Amino acid sequence: MVMNTILEIIIIILLAAIIGLFFLGLSRKIMARIHWRYGPPIAQPVIDIIKLFNQTSMSHGKLFNFGIIFSLSGSVVVLLFLPLGEMCPLSSSGGLLVILYCMLIAPLGLALSGGEAANPITSIGISRKFLLAFGYELPLLLILLTVMTHFNTISIVDIVNMQLQTGWSFQHLPLLLSGIAYILILPAILDLRPFELIQAPQEISSGPMIEYGGKFLALATIQHAFNVFISLSLFTNLFLGGAENPGYFFLKMLIVFIILLFVNAVTPRFRIEQAIKFLWRWPALLAFAGLIIVSVTG
Amino acid sequence: MNLIILLAIAFGGALITYFLGKISQKIRDIFAVFISLALAVIAACFYNVSSREIYYTGFLDFPFVLRVNTFSWFFAVTIAVIGLFSIIFSLNYIRKRGNTDFYYSMMLLVIASMIGIVLSGDLVSFYIFWEIMSWSTFLLISYNRGPAISAGMKYIIMSVTGSVVMLVGIVSLYLHYDTLVYTELSGLLNNASSGYILFIIILFFIAFGVKNAIWPLHVWLPPAHSEAPSPFSSVLSGILIKIGTYGIILLIFVIIQINVFLNLGEGILSVRYIISIIGVITILIPTFIALLQDDAKRLLAWSTIAQAGYIILGIAYGTSESVAGGMFHFFNHAIFKSLLFMVVGAVEYRTNGVRDLNSLGGLIKKMPVTFIGGLIGICGLIGVPLTNGFVSKWLIYKTLILNNSPFLAFAALLGTWGTILYSYKLIHNMFLGQLPEKYEKIKKAPFSMQLPIVILSLAIIFFGIIPGLPLHVINSIESGFGMEPLTINIWGIASDTGTINMLNIFTAVLVIGIMVWLIFKVSKKSTVIGQYDNYAAGTTVPKDKYNYSVNFYDPLCRMISPYLKDFIDDFYMSLARSIKNTGNGIRRIYTGDVGHYVIYIILFLALLIFIQINWELW
Amino acid sequence: MDRNKLGKWLQSPGKMGQKYSLHALYFCTGCGIIEIPPTITARWDAERFGVIPVATPRQANLFLITGYVSVKTLRPIIRSYEQMPEPKFTVGFGSCPINGGMYWDSYNTIKHLDKYIPIDGWIAGCMPRPEAVFVAVTHLWTLIDKGMADGYKKYREDYHYYRENQEKILGKLEWPPLFSSKKM
Repeated sequence: MVMNTILEIIIIILLAAIIGLFFLGLSRKIMARIHWRYGPPIAQPVIDIIKLFNQTSMSHGKLFNFGIIFSLSGSVVVLLFLPLGEMCPLSSSGGLLVILYCMLIAPLGLALSGGEAANPITSIGISRKFLLAFGYELPLLLILLTVMTHFNTISIVDIVNMQLQTGWSFQHLPLLLSGIAYILILPAILDLRPFELIQAPQEISSGPMIEYGGKFLALATIQHAFNVFISLSLFTNLFLGGAENPGYFFLKMLIVFIILLFVNAVTPRFRIEQAIKFLWRWPALLAFAGLIIVSVTG
Repeated sequence: MNLIILLAIAFGGALITYFLGKISQKIRDIFAVFISLALAVIAACFYNVSSREIYYTGFLDFPFVLRVNTFSWFFAVTIAVIGLFSIIFSLNYIRKRGNTDFYYSMMLLVIASMIGIVLSGDLVSFYIFWEIMSWSTFLLISYNRGPAISAGMKYIIMSVTGSVVMLVGIVSLYLHYDTLVYTELSGLLNNASSGYILFIIILFFIAFGVKNAIWPLHVWLPPAHSEAPSPFSSVLSGILIKIGTYGIILLIFVIIQINVFLNLGEGILSVRYIISIIGVITILIPTFIALLQDDAKRLLAWSTIAQAGYIILGIAYGTSESVAGGMFHFFNHAIFKSLLFMVVGAVEYRTNGVRDLNSLGGLIKKMPVTFIGGLIGICGLIGVPLTNGFVSKWLIYKTLILNNSPFLAFAALLGTWGTILYSYKLIHNMFLGQLPEKYEKIKKAPFSMQLPIVILSLAIIFFGIIPGLPLHVINSIESGFGMEPLTINIWGIASDTGTINMLNIFTAVLVIGIMVWLIFKVSKKSTVIGQYDNYAAGTTVPKDKYNYSVNFYDPLCRMISPYLKDFIDDFYMSLARSIKNTGNGIRRIYTGDVGHYVIYIILFLALLIFIQINWELW
Repeated sequence: MDRNKLGKWLQSPGKMGQKYSLHALYFCTGCGIIEIPPTITARWDAERFGVIPVATPRQANLFLITGYVSVKTLRPIIRSYEQMPEPKFTVGFGSCPINGGMYWDSYNTIKHLDKYIPIDGWIAGCMPRPEAVFVAVTHLWTLIDKGMADGYKKYREDYHYYRENQEKILGKLEWPPLFSSKKM
């Protein structure tokens, strides 16, 4: 029993790391092809990580180290709450509400680490990160509440199981609205254009990561890979019926991600207040409509 | 041990402290700590005791009833413990100020009267202790003089208004039922008309709402919290406003029973929904206002109002899970908010009274323990998993979602995300970023300040991992109220609608954290560099002006600030002005001329005669 | 290109990583800025070699100094170089950093950049074509393979010499010495 759980945990973490890094590499390759370039090899993020671990690094103090460790462990813990097919090691420990709260550990860790760096540009990046998070959390909360109210449960495993019986969430009208809203906010969660204003290398020199070099940047990249996996996996679980088998699950995530990449490749960047205005207008309206329909029809 | 002895120690201790201070400062300090420690220990000894003591004082033939059960024990222990830490924190903080004897004795008096409130068994003694608390609080709020006087004035006016309204309610209850003892009152209101119950609820709710700073009655709180001395701010925010919560629980669950309360009105218009909506408004508006604050203590004061909203929401919603969440949040809030006020107080103490968030920064290098306290405090405030604030909020959200009130849940959840923004701003602007050169020589906080900070931080983590201990107590309180108890175990809650197990989460976080730490440790060691070796596009970092903390959330604040004018405060101020003007007008009829007074008397008599002739009233 | 040879990766992952993941910090002091955008965008696509521009020296391991170096810009160059994590490689781009180029008699231009920071390779020309960057990159690969791109080690060993040169031309530097070597 315990051995099984440990095995599951290891498989999930490895799979998430591989898929997340693959997605990062794929995004660079696809972006290059859209730009009419040849592009780097798909394994380029892995090469970068290997190099970064072989570099020296500078640390600004204990909290600088703690922040990045905290951030990465927060992301990994969220993985254990997300069902991947039959596997969900922490399914009975709080459900979707805990996922929502655990997803906040990662940005908080980066923010603490960046704060210790004593660089104002880091602080600007963090300020933007929190503002953008506040922007997309409003529709995200509405979306999650719609799903939870519709299925009348707070457990994500139950939501996936019920979709196996009643079909994908996308087939119900209120959840269709929420699903569209979720797709609209996904770029903001994944830090893709038009919401790529946290790192914004040309503007604020990669924001919170500004003092990261060597292993810090490597851990931050891995954390980003996990974040990509988590966001897409949450969407797939909530709206696309979760995973009947891992391959199918991967395919669903891939399709959503490629759509996002197409948007990413051709759009410029919002300013932060434009981003918040957009997020509080269209996605929030759609999600709100969905929630009203769900709560009226019961 | 008798309850009356506990009260005698509390009140007597306050009095003796004052006179001991005239003899020796050191003895007085030790005595004050000893008294508050004794209160905490004695109060803790009443665990699982349920007893009543009735004394006849001959005061208008009312009995003086003291009672203890799990409900009052829970509040009494929280009060005594937070009071103890706050007194310990005061030792260094207040030493160099004037009038310290007065400070200590008032502090002990506030704690004593709060313990009196939660131990009293009838509404008359409740009211007397309530008034003692209000007045002694007023004296402590205006301890700093200057702007503190007007803050205290605001507090006492609102508080007295509240008490008068409550007195009307108490008199009305006495006229109807001829008794004011809780045990006799409870159940009597079952048969009352719903109009009368509503009347009672409104009267008491105004009184308790002023103390608990519920949304339209909150205006006294921000100035009072920010102007009071910091250790007292932590008492104010941690426990004193929760006496309002105690009152509301007393009203809803003891005087009016829960089933009567839940059946008042229907659907959206029922009393529980209206109070819940007020709670949600109390969460949302102050959260946004807190984002705009630049004064550390004022930010925390607004945050206090917002967190009180969660407690009201949980209690008023009335399912056994939400009530447990509300009461647990009361307990948690007492811990983390007093901790945060102590952290700000320690910084204030070391920087000679600076609490402007725009001029601090980088203090983590100088005051690491205080920083860790602040970090854990904001984690509890946000409700990061493994801190106590998480479980209480989880309970409230869960019950709101599963009972089909998603909009209430949405507002409450959104409040949490606002909390992240302002609490990170608090910690960032004080402790992170560049350390200004003028603070290079700051020392770490003294031991008497670090001790409460460390213990309270540990308590946050402890009750976050083992929420079963307080939930167990809350469970027995709830069964005392006749509610369906939760199915809890030591690590969390295990019901069939949703389980939470902090042990699993703790183990996962611990193991994964250690694994990541090992990866970090095994890879190449990093060199530690100072704050001036920093990326500044190739230039050297300018000293003392390379920090981003002013207007930290400027884009959002510019968007929301036009909508957040504090019109409630404006309304009260204009009310105050118009009352003053009316008074001025009335004053003019006293001219001082005897002839005018004779004319008034004759006119009045003429009016009476006129009325009598026309309508024959007498 | 031996990027796909797994055996080499297992043998010396550090060296291979450094070769195929060059995070470049461009210090475009003057004319060179014209050549860099085509190099990194669609026309020549530096990313296929694993070369990608980054914003801060902390993340970089390739330092590309293009165009002439005036006395004023020397200070940020040294600062940026010292902030990069090791191992780090420097490439001077254009004639001017090599020997002053057309500014050979200018009063405020640095004539020999390698007196102030160690340079691993030069790209001669005024200005070199973008292809020359790739020639330099492939050449840098062979240098890394043979362990000859060791400028950062030289900087560590002869820090005394470099710091002296820097202070001679810039006056007293605001930051403390990077290495407290025994020679100092």
